Amino acid sequence: MSTPDTVFSIYGATLNRRSFLVASGSLVVALGMKPAASNTVAAPTNSLDATQPSSWIEIHADNTLVIRTGKCDFGQSSIYTAYRQIVAEELDVPVEAITTVISGDTDRTPDGGGTFGLLRTNVMNLRKAAAYTREAALELAARNLGVPRTQLKIANGVIAGGGKSVTYGALVAGESLQLTIPVRGNLTDFGGLQVAGDPPLKPTSSYTVVGQPIKNPSLRPKMSGEALWVNDVKLPGMLHARVVHPATLGSTLVSAGKVDKSQFPNTQVVVIGNLVGVLAPDEWEVILAAQVVGANTKWSEWKGLPGHRNLLEHLQSKVDWNEIPAAKGAQAGDAVAASAKASKTHSGTYFVPYHKHAPISPTVSLADVKPNGSVTLHTHSQNPQFLRMAIAKMLGRPETDVVIRTYPGASHFGRSNGGNAGSEDEAVLLSRAVGKPVRVQWMRPDDMQWSTQSSASMSKIRISLDEKGKIQTYQADHSGPPMQDDRPIGALLAGLPTIEAPGPNNASRLHSTTMNVADRWVYTEVPNVAEAGHGTYQIGQRESAIGVGLRDHSMRTPIQFQQNFPREAAISEAAALAGADPIQFRIDHTKEERFKTILARLREESGWQTRPSPAPSAGAKESKILRGQGASIMLRDNGYWACACHVAVTPETGEVRVERLTIVVDPGIVVNPLQLKRQVQAGSLMGVSQALHEEVMFDEGAITSTHWGTYPILTMAEMPEVKVVIAGRPEFGVYGQGSESANALAAPAIVAAFFDATGRPARRIPLRPEYVKSVLAS
Amino acid sequence: MSMLKVNGTEHDVRSSPDTPLLYVLRNELGIMTPKFGCGMAQCGACSVLLDGAEMRACITPVAAAEGKEVTTVEGLPARWAKQRNLSAQTAQDTLHPVQEAWVEEQVPQCGICQFGMMIKVTELLEANPKPTDADIKAALTTSGPSPHLCRCASYAAILDGVHHAARLMAKGAK
Repeated sequence: MSTPDTVFSIYGATLNRRSFLVASGSLVVALGMKPAASNTVAAPTNSLDATQPSSWIEIHADNTLVIRTGKCDFGQSSIYTAYRQIVAEELDVPVEAITTVISGDTDRTPDGGGTFGLLRTNVMNLRKAAAYTREAALELAARNLGVPRTQLKIANGVIAGGGKSVTYGALVAGESLQLTIPVRGNLTDFGGLQVAGDPPLKPTSSYTVVGQPIKNPSLRPKMSGEALWVNDVKLPGMLHARVVHPATLGSTLVSAGKVDKSQFPNTQVVVIGNLVGVLAPDEWEVILAAQVVGANTKWSEWKGLPGHRNLLEHLQSKVDWNEIPAAKGAQAGDAVAASAKASKTHSGTYFVPYHKHAPISPTVSLADVKPNGSVTLHTHSQNPQFLRMAIAKMLGRPETDVVIRTYPGASHFGRSNGGNAGSEDEAVLLSRAVGKPVRVQWMRPDDMQWSTQSSASMSKIRISLDEKGKIQTYQADHSGPPMQDDRPIGALLAGLPTIEAPGPNNASRLHSTTMNVADRWVYTEVPNVAEAGHGTYQIGQRESAIGVGLRDHSMRTPIQFQQNFPREAAISEAAALAGADPIQFRIDHTKEERFKTILARLREESGWQTRPSPAPSAGAKESKILRGQGASIMLRDNGYWACACHVAVTPETGEVRVERLTIVVDPGIVVNPLQLKRQVQAGSLMGVSQALHEEVMFDEGAITSTHWGTYPILTMAEMPEVKVVIAGRPEFGVYGQGSESANALAAPAIVAAFFDATGRPARRIPLRPEYVKSVLAS
Repeated sequence: MSMLKVNGTEHDVRSSPDTPLLYVLRNELGIMTPKFGCGMAQCGACSVLLDGAEMRACITPVAAAEGKEVTTVEGLPARWAKQRNLSAQTAQDTLHPVQEAWVEEQVPQCGICQFGMMIKVTELLEANPKPTDADIKAALTTSGPSPHLCRCASYAAILDGVHHAARLMAKGAK
């Protein structure tokens, strides 16, 4: 290898050429040194293996490209569709030229960070890397062709001007070029590395690739059976393992059960602190053996949870909300003074229970810990570099000892955006203990009882109206446990180091107990607004002998789901108090033209009857089925959303059916209308599932929702007719998110429709028959 | 030792007769599309066809499959080719219309449940080539030991996928 020569620098990126010819040729985009001003550890000191390619973008002589991202696919398709489109757009190459997407593996991808906000902030790494690359290619072409840069243009992968032209591939043929671009951040921090600087971005008004309904190329190998899922990985000589988890979320181990060698000849039990592993070469043997060991393992008794039936009362009267300083949300005018002068007031307490991410396939990981301490972990994580940090911290080893490889797996909606989903650390600890590769597969009850959950939330909303029915004041107090505990459960059970539990003094703001107001305020016509968030500790965590309790984790639109639901449900009730149509009421209370536009569209598309709630037929005693309509809106990540649900309530049985769901989205730029439509359909239906069915049940010690019978989700027979209207506004020049936002809209629209149908407010979800009947009887 | 016929090939199976078919397929035969979901026949992620009828491999002892034909998603293209007398080469180069429709309609989100979904839909379309929405919903909800669950809630796309597959099968193409 010879020393590379610098060819030129452009916009802070530097192009180097290694001084030898190679057979094919390539240009790779590499990590630059961080700006010297920063005081955190520079990327290269804990970077990727230097012998591995770490490039965001590779251009090959045959005009094909490889892109790499530390983010993964969890069913959003974005890294295979939107990311390719956005890179192709910046480079002006056909999207098909990007033939390969490498994602997630910590030794083969450049940037780390979590799989969320894929189009919001995370895509900027690849987008900027592409912009740097395009500018460098233009400069290189100008030199090679002898044509001034200003005369060159790129179209369809060809750089042309002054009567001459060259393809990207021809530019790199026979060369070994490396473009070094500036970065900041720390690879294994929660957010990973960010590409720095400001290369010129292509004007969004001239987009041609973005906006096309391209298909997701990862689906064919998945559906044909060729793709290797994390579930399918086999390591030579591996042992299958099951973990016998404690009897409660606060129990310690008294004595581990034994295996009867005559019955299970090849099974061994490994105990590390409170972590009890059962291992055998044969998976069925270990499943049966783990049941026997589990039945014979003794745990200390523990009662530290309020039980799900008492949860709201617990939040109302048992939690000291002064322990954690309150956070403020939107503020305007003087809500307290104005509220005293109100003509009419609506006030109510709203409640969202704990939800489970509940992947269809429980979490599974495989670890291979070598005698020299090096760890290779095969898993399905939304933040592999942060997981790498957590594993190294647990083992007390340098991060350079740990490699995380990622594979397709069951979507779990944010559960691992802080690295772990469960089982990863257990596989590592058991592999280290037995000196062999180990595959830990959680069974369904493990996944329901020992994973994190989306936190419960309670909101007190007070809305006062003037004599004309206009909102004078909006006051909201949102209270609940935190939403981001990234401590791996196996490390906790084994008593090994982790990052800190959520707390008021956690160095990481994300892992704080502060309850921020995450729901963007949208009713900008309201003169007096006071929103506040009140945080606390995770329920049962401080009381738990193992520091566990109900561990919480973000899910889809974390905190915003919990705060948008009460706001929108209350706005619908306030509209009724004002005698106003709920859609018109919303239009009248926002200055945001984009909301007015999608709400008007929603009215047309949903078959909406313009009138106040409740419906004229509400509560009619003779009716076997009562029907109603309800609406909701949300602003998230530059995406404007509006939803209408039409429901049918059967008072006799307490059954609520959603018959139609209409959703209108203005995400600004629509990157891929086909993928967006599918994401919105599915995300909104998952929201229907949460609204109708989902609540984590628990007693005083343990989660009692252990399978699909006790944590039911939406079935296909229950799906409403779904209509998705994509109403993009590309002139705003930003990408709005698609996959997660749609999830939050259904619940408040459904309770509003329930109110419209019955005249009775339902201020909590899920609308299960028992609750529905109690509301109707009240 | 028992004999198991999977996707047209006979295998000698070493696993004990009480081992659920799912673990025999995955661990002994390397047939990986049936996925572990719940182990209780509650979700359908592990579904296979047993003599053409959908069943849950997670609770079916391998002994119960002896002497019967097991079909997984890996075997759907050959099953289609045999039904339509397509050449061996065509069978190798083509997906079953249900798989093709799943790709064409971009049905999956994460996709983990879709192997079981495609098995159930294949069973449905072999018996009912032109199902209504209600037929499809019934097949995927009430016809078996449990509903086929999709946590991503890709149900609207699945409905499109089934109708698309029915059209492909009617054409006899692909």
